[in-house]
Amino acid sequence: MPDSPERCYELEIPAKAQYVSLARLLASSIARSMSFPEEDVDDLKVAVSEMCTNAIVHSGNGTAEKPPILVRYCAGRDYLRVQVSDRGPGFDIGCVLNRERTDLLEKGRGIPLIQCLVDEFQCDSQPGSGTVVTVVKYLRPRESQP
Amino acid sequence: MAEKERAGSGLEVNVEDLGDISLISLVGEVDVYTAPMLKDAINSLVERGRYHIVVDLGKVIFLDSTGLGVLVGGLKKVKSNQGELGIICNQERILRVFRITGLTKVFPVYRSREELPTKEREKQDAG
Repeated sequence: MPDSPERCYELEIPAKAQYVSLARLLASSIARSMSFPEEDVDDLKVAVSEMCTNAIVHSGNGTAEKPPILVRYCAGRDYLRVQVSDRGPGFDIGCVLNRERTDLLEKGRGIPLIQCLVDEFQCDSQPGSGTVVTVVKYLRPRESQP
Repeated sequence: MAEKERAGSGLEVNVEDLGDISLISLVGEVDVYTAPMLKDAINSLVERGRYHIVVDLGKVIFLDSTGLGVLVGGLKKVKSNQGELGIICNQERILRVFRITGLTKVFPVYRSREELPTKEREKQDAG
């Protein structure tokens, strides 16, 4: 992971679907303030949406009252790192990544999609514990004007 | 026939019949919160025996894998009834998600309503 200095922001949201847009909005606001290109802002929004959706869908271990989701945004000189933590049951990441895919699968596109949209992806999860998913998107050097 | 639905969140769903095709027009964001509205619209059409569906994503500003999953689910339903489900989209930000997941090969993709099959477009223009 990149070195400091960083400016970090934390957002704690209830594990409910209507709050995912809030996490996306904050990601896009921070990315735009860092002068990320709009295309990369869009990529970050999708990645954060997928991360929060996974956390909400899989957290709570089947209980009605799910613990909140913590979203941490850290802005470095040339990168934005976003970490989404839940206190859900956890899962075996290998099973997700190695799952056989077909075109007409209705679920299971979230993590592969995140991996395509960001520069670094890390998932720390084990059955029986919570899950922490971390992504990093780097600011690309601006192309010089002709 | 046109049905309009608006939720407190960021998605508006409008359904209209254009000859043999049913057009679902979306305005706003499709995510885990709003995707059930799209799912309901598709399911309602299938229950009415409408198996040729086009979803207009021209005014969608955000779509993630939850939205893709609902579209794939709809496609499976109409295909099992010899139907088809296509999308209208000319926005790169949305098409990119379809392309990365390989779904541009699965859904018929129209760039605009004008690209819909000619017979249906004539009916639309006449309406």
